[in-house]
Amino acid sequence: MLRADRAFGLLVLLAVVSSAILIALLAAIIPHVELLAARGAEGAADVVAIVLLGLATLGITLGLSSLFRQLLATLVLIRSLLARRVAMPARVRAAAGGLGLDGRIDVVDDARPFSFCYWFLRPRICLSIGLVRRLDHAELRAVLFHERYHLRHRDPLRLVIARYFAAGLYVVPVVEDLVAHFTLEKELEADEDAVAAMGDVRPLARALYALLPDADEVSLGLLVPVGSLSVTEARIDHLVQGRPLAARIPATSIALSFGALAAASVLAAVPGMLVAPASLLFVAAINGGVHQVRLVVHR
Amino acid sequence: MSDPKRGSAGAEPPSTLRRLRRIGSEEKFLGPLEAAVMERLWKRGTATVRDVVDDLGRSRALAYTTVMTIMTRLQAKGLLERDRDGKTYVYRPACSREEHRERLSRDLVRGLVDEFGELALAHFAAELDGVDAAHRAALKRLAKADPRAPR
Repeated sequence: MLRADRAFGLLVLLAVVSSAILIALLAAIIPHVELLAARGAEGAADVVAIVLLGLATLGITLGLSSLFRQLLATLVLIRSLLARRVAMPARVRAAAGGLGLDGRIDVVDDARPFSFCYWFLRPRICLSIGLVRRLDHAELRAVLFHERYHLRHRDPLRLVIARYFAAGLYVVPVVEDLVAHFTLEKELEADEDAVAAMGDVRPLARALYALLPDADEVSLGLLVPVGSLSVTEARIDHLVQGRPLAARIPATSIALSFGALAAASVLAAVPGMLVAPASLLFVAAINGGVHQVRLVVHR
Repeated sequence: MSDPKRGSAGAEPPSTLRRLRRIGSEEKFLGPLEAAVMERLWKRGTATVRDVVDDLGRSRALAYTTVMTIMTRLQAKGLLERDRDGKTYVYRPACSREEHRERLSRDLVRGLVDEFGELALAHFAAELDGVDAAHRAALKRLAKADPRAPR
């Protein structure tokens, strides 16, 4: 069982180690490329150096692009919603009583029912009037407990960092798998927190049910083209069965990631830009690169 | 992956930046006047522009052309339908208030994620679209379960 905190910790650890190896590799390539620029490409080692430089550039671009898109998108959304902020309705004040969320809740005038936790160092909770109208006191409180979990764990910040690493370290695909696992696990834990605090699973189940779209509209828009796991279905399973979910990280992803890191270590340590380890790195890069570029294109 | 409900007829697909700027505008939300017009239509069932001007005119001064513009826009958005009756158009809501609310709810994730891509926030009802019938039924049973029954 890999819970959200552990998944995030492992992700950061792996990301730091991977970054160190890849930066060492980049440092080894740069003198080679400078030499190459002076005299032109001659052999296989030169080609390897050029391709590696290309892969490194792609990684840096993907990482920064992910960071930029996430921050911009979030800023624009928050700004537009907060322009519609309204005084906190008495029902929200009552539901939030004793939750330690004083001054941390924004209610916005929007007919769509939604709630989320946003911002990074000192997160806040945003609720729409649509959600407040649709849920009763207990349901609203359950949702606030759920959001309080994200707020206390600074999940928006952790999400930005996790996605940044996954995009930049596309040659280590297990990082993306850990992000997916973390994304799911934090929702399950937030639900668990809400159920435990309420002492009853039903208010949260009712809140979730109240927000489900019509069955005939299902799957019109597949929003996140990663994996086949539906976060909501996993949450429903979790609520119904109440048992933890086993982490499912594909073996091929683990093999590719560690193969790529071993290959990068060899390339960084042994001079000469060896073709065999470079090939292994290229395979992992193509696999992860295609996935990350697809994410950029789809979003 | 396109959603047929979202495209506006004849409009070019907007650039990401333009889409980002447009959030909060009437494209995604009903403005106060649009909401007031829809309220009247849901109450009356059918109405001409003049009917709505008269109705709303009791509480606020509104020009006929303003209301006509709003109703034409609501029709273009698919919220109102209209039939010609002689020289005037008679409008009616394309969906009930409940259906409209449902549609808004469905558009929640699409609206946020489609427009913005990767949002750095954790929201309660993420990815509500991909829930199959079995899970839906299981959640319904749980939501309506007898408190004394074991889980």
